[in-house]
Amino acid sequence: MTSETGFDPALYDRFPTKGERPEGEVEELERIWHAPGGWARLTVVNNNYIGIYYVGAAFLFFVLAGILALVMRVQLALPLNGVLSQDTYNQFFTMHGTIMMFLFAVPAVEALGVLLLPQMLAARDLPFPRLSAYAFWAYLVGGLCFFSSIFFGLAPDGGWFMYPPYTSKTYSPGINADFWLLGIGFIEISAIAGAIEIIVGVLRTRAPGMSLEKMPIFAWAMLVFAVMIVIGFPAVILGTLLLELERAFNWPFFDPTRGGDPVLWQHLFWFFGHPEVYIIFLPAAGLMSMMVSALARTPLVGYRLVVLALVATGFISFGVWAHHMFTTGMPALSISFFSAASMAVSVPAGVQVFSWIATFAIGKPQFNTPTLFVLGSLVTFVIGGLTGVMVALVPFDWQAHDTHFIVAHLHYVLIGGMVMPLFAIFYYWMGMTSRRPLSERLGKWIFWLFFIGMQVTFLPMHLTGLMGMPRRVYTYLPGRDWEVTNLISTVGAFILGAAVLLFLIELARNFRLTVDNDAGNVYGGGTLEWLPTGLYSTRSIPVVKSREPLWDDPDISRDVEEGRYFLPNAPTGHRETIITSPLRAEPQYLQIMPGPSVWPLLAAIFTAGFFVLMTIEAYTPALTSGVLAILGVLRWLWETDRPVHEKSVDVGAGIQLPTYVTGGSTHGWWAMVVLLIVIFMIFLMMVFSYLYLYGIHPGFWASPADQIWLPFIVGGNGVAIGLALFARHLMTRPKTTLWTPPTLLLLAVGALAAALVIDLWTWRTSGLGPVESAQGATVYAFLSLQAALTAIVVLMGGYIAVRNSRGLIVRPRNNSVDLMVLFLGYTAMQGSLAALLVRLFPGAL
Amino acid sequence: MRHWLYMLGGLIIWALHFFALYIVVSILLTSPAARVVTLIMTLLCLAADGLLAVGAWRGFKAAASDETARWVFGFALLGIAISAVAVFWQGFPILLV
Repeated sequence: MTSETGFDPALYDRFPTKGERPEGEVEELERIWHAPGGWARLTVVNNNYIGIYYVGAAFLFFVLAGILALVMRVQLALPLNGVLSQDTYNQFFTMHGTIMMFLFAVPAVEALGVLLLPQMLAARDLPFPRLSAYAFWAYLVGGLCFFSSIFFGLAPDGGWFMYPPYTSKTYSPGINADFWLLGIGFIEISAIAGAIEIIVGVLRTRAPGMSLEKMPIFAWAMLVFAVMIVIGFPAVILGTLLLELERAFNWPFFDPTRGGDPVLWQHLFWFFGHPEVYIIFLPAAGLMSMMVSALARTPLVGYRLVVLALVATGFISFGVWAHHMFTTGMPALSISFFSAASMAVSVPAGVQVFSWIATFAIGKPQFNTPTLFVLGSLVTFVIGGLTGVMVALVPFDWQAHDTHFIVAHLHYVLIGGMVMPLFAIFYYWMGMTSRRPLSERLGKWIFWLFFIGMQVTFLPMHLTGLMGMPRRVYTYLPGRDWEVTNLISTVGAFILGAAVLLFLIELARNFRLTVDNDAGNVYGGGTLEWLPTGLYSTRSIPVVKSREPLWDDPDISRDVEEGRYFLPNAPTGHRETIITSPLRAEPQYLQIMPGPSVWPLLAAIFTAGFFVLMTIEAYTPALTSGVLAILGVLRWLWETDRPVHEKSVDVGAGIQLPTYVTGGSTHGWWAMVVLLIVIFMIFLMMVFSYLYLYGIHPGFWASPADQIWLPFIVGGNGVAIGLALFARHLMTRPKTTLWTPPTLLLLAVGALAAALVIDLWTWRTSGLGPVESAQGATVYAFLSLQAALTAIVVLMGGYIAVRNSRGLIVRPRNNSVDLMVLFLGYTAMQGSLAALLVRLFPGAL
Repeated sequence: MRHWLYMLGGLIIWALHFFALYIVVSILLTSPAARVVTLIMTLLCLAADGLLAVGAWRGFKAAASDETARWVFGFALLGIAISAVAVFWQGFPILLV
């Protein structure tokens, strides 16, 4: 067999090992991975707890947004109903959509990743457990504050996609829109943090031998999901920043009277917003594939094609955003291209659907609760998919746009593609986290209520839409033939609500959280999450030889539990997991993992506090909260990147792995690269905005600032890169003094800051301000982005200097220094590219 | 890296194609020039798919005893096939609109 890293695959033949393991290894693992009790339980970082908290919080938001939906349905049950005023109705539908998309759907699937992935991959935990904890707490605290705005009449009211000019200061003068724009800031941070965790987790912490073709489908789905977040979320991050800058400082990105364009918002929003649908759907589809296989008791039909379908969906989802904008007046050929791409999306979705049908057809499914939910989901999703192809046809879309037909379509897709699978997931995986499984008898009642409620609510809504009822109107006149279908939809919504209520009662009856005394593999799954586990995940990490190891090796559970595979103990006395190679999952090194800490929790609370306080315009407390959040993050990082005494350890069967590795193969480096891709995507979206606005209103654009300063800006950035690389090089030389590398790094920071100051100062003296025109606004947006990155580099420089003063910068290589050099280098290059663009175009080119 | 490039190569060509078409039509609007450039882009991408397919097929045949490499190159070939169909489909509207 070929090797990816130099690891000899023949070493796998040593497992399972023979002979008894020494006494006390399990007790040592339990001591090391023990979760604190009482109030200190809030400081846990282990995925078993964070995952469950995360899923629970997401479901709470689902229930809250569902209650809003029920009230809206009561309002629409009869014409001229007076349950909600127009303004309140606007807030209700905006909050319903925003919460379902941002606070329920994305976090729920991310939560499932945090909960299930380490077990499926047989990792001890995801590679950055404190980042998971931070992401969860920022989401929970911020989300609850965001939801509370509805009790004060301050909830956003511009719809979940917040189109300007309706949401501009002129037409939305209160702080309602700001609640949306700043309020989802913490969701964006949380989602990006989770995505980094998942990408590195899937690619680098798989069990040895779990090469790409043996990965569980869910791991593939989560990998595509996380990459889509990395590519898609920057567009909405930039969009919200620009709209908030316009609202707060009058920078006219979306104001056509000064060269802006409201359609720019639509491009930015939907470049994120359409992939968002697949971001929600793909993880659920991944779990559907795994459940279908287990419930039909046969391997999934067309594994490779299903993986291809997931990856292809990830690609094409970024090519269809403008089908939400068919009515904005784009060129005919342009909308034809988008229409063709939109129809093509149905192919990979169809591949998965046919795979599930074929697997059920050749298997022996039992009609238990998760099977019913899977089948119900399949039917519902296919109906939603078919109406999706209908609205991909431009002439039809022109008729149905912004009617209740669209509301029906999107609910069929989202409920069929994500919510019903979620209920199946609850039933199927409950045995992994609860002492008792959920009741099958009640489960069937819940399914039928849910399924019937769903169809009764949304099937007539297609007709309501085709009869012309627009979405987002709080009432309607009698005599327009909308009364009957609306009333039926309202009855259906309450049937659906009854199903959810019954499920909550069922949870209260049977869900009892546990991490080591669970109900077990009720439905007979064959993947690794059904190995016996504790807080440390599996006792030992098995060598994976097939996609369903529990089906193919009847002894694997016993051997894993008896410690006959990798890492049967804790050789360094710390929390550890094995980092493996991305393609063939060959063991590379032992990662030392951090344990419980209060700092991620505090950092998250202050991060959420920063955004919420900014929204209510309490600027001084917001700033204080922001500073405290940064200090919290630095304090949590302070304990990381510390080599242990043992340079290499035996991880089982005499195989030695190093405990401290630096450079491009480390998990930290990978995480930083993913973060830089996020930042680059924000930059790329900014470049798009710049060129787009020029293309729309070139008459508003003036000559750029003096180009004579360009060599100084680019040169300053170049010097910064050179100094940083030189500092890194000097660390490897034994004769280098303690302070030489940090001093050079600080000089590099100085050169970077000098380049920024020159750039900013010369623009200020050019006479072009950010308020006069869209050109000025975008130029200053580039400068603001560069200033933010430079501020982070300054912070990193200070952090390295302080660590150096405490002797924590180990030589000849150090991960903290490596990551700072990488970040600084990227910042310098981005600064140069931005300067070249805005000073050479338009005018010089 | 070679394995990843083959695995994703077809899909990357597909993505480059549809992004290129969107840019072209944004600049040239619905004009004869846009149709000509679309046709050229489509033919270029189909040719790129063909070249990639040759490499992937060689990799597939060479990896007879390597399960992972065989799976990767098989995946690459399927990806290239879907890419070729999608590129053709995406360029098709120039004949209709």
